[in-house]
Amino acid sequence: MSPIEEQIPAELERRLQGLLEQSVAHVDGHIRSRLNQARQAAVAEATRDRRPALLRAVVLMPAAGALAAAVLVAFVLWPHSAQQVELPVTVMADAGHSMEDLDLLADGDGLDLVSAEEADGSFLEWAADQTDVGETST
Amino acid sequence: MPLAPHGDVKLSDSTSNSQSRALNQFLAGVELKAFKIAQTALRNEDDALDAVQHAMLQLARAYANKPPEEWKPLFYRILENRIRDMQRRRTVRGKVISWLPLRGNEEDDEPDPINQAPSHDPQPPRRLEIAEAMGALERALQGLPRRQQQVFMLRTLEGLDVAETATAMGCSEGSVKTHYFRALQSLRAQLGEFWT
Repeated sequence: MSPIEEQIPAELERRLQGLLEQSVAHVDGHIRSRLNQARQAAVAEATRDRRPALLRAVVLMPAAGALAAAVLVAFVLWPHSAQQVELPVTVMADAGHSMEDLDLLADGDGLDLVSAEEADGSFLEWAADQTDVGETST
Repeated sequence: MPLAPHGDVKLSDSTSNSQSRALNQFLAGVELKAFKIAQTALRNEDDALDAVQHAMLQLARAYANKPPEEWKPLFYRILENRIRDMQRRRTVRGKVISWLPLRGNEEDDEPDPINQAPSHDPQPPRRLEIAEAMGALERALQGLPRRQQQVFMLRTLEGLDVAETATAMGCSEGSVKTHYFRALQSLRAQLGEFWT
């Protein structure tokens, strides 16, 4: 026994211990009841937590693996399908019109001609006549 | 992979059941003392119940698969941490409330006058004597520094040895001995007159 422990009055220690134990023995019934409920909940929690953890590990592992494989396949195939299938159908089918539209929009003179035509249609009539003349002369 | 035979399942079930029984038995053995320790530290019945319930659930969730002989220090470690957290929260709440110019609805903090009214039920003299002595002890305990109070309750009421107490408190064994000695000296100084 260490010198510190030798100095501790054993009689006081015993009396304090006895008093505390008596106070514990006199804890009210409703406190005991609530402690009992808490204990039952804790025991149920221990049982519930362990079993599903094992079951989840066994049952969900194949499903998780299949899901991961499906996601991986979709990820690998998705860029190819987008480039090879969808782009040619949508872009190539309208490629001619799209390019003409772009030229018209980019060409400032074209727009001037259109606005001039709205103001006066004589230029277009003249141009058409010239074309007809050219074709008949050749 | 071969399937587990039924015998393994039964063995697992029986192991789980025996562990549940052991846990139930352990908690039943410590719950009243744990409540008393929490009540002394927190000075509130509901808070003490909350702290004990939290410790029970945490032990069951995190340490139920540990050997039962390790449960007691772990349980009291969880309980002490919970008590400390609750005391800190109270301190912060007290500081915040003290800054508020007007104190609002404090019905929850005020003691219920019905509960505070003296009981007219006759008490046996022995019980009254114990209650008086316990009241004096509680007052003396509440006057102790937190660590001394903690060591005293764990060693005297729960009967943890020095090593277990050190584990539960997260300190050295030398520190436990020092706190315990000082707690007893202080209690003797305060309660000596009451008991002579």
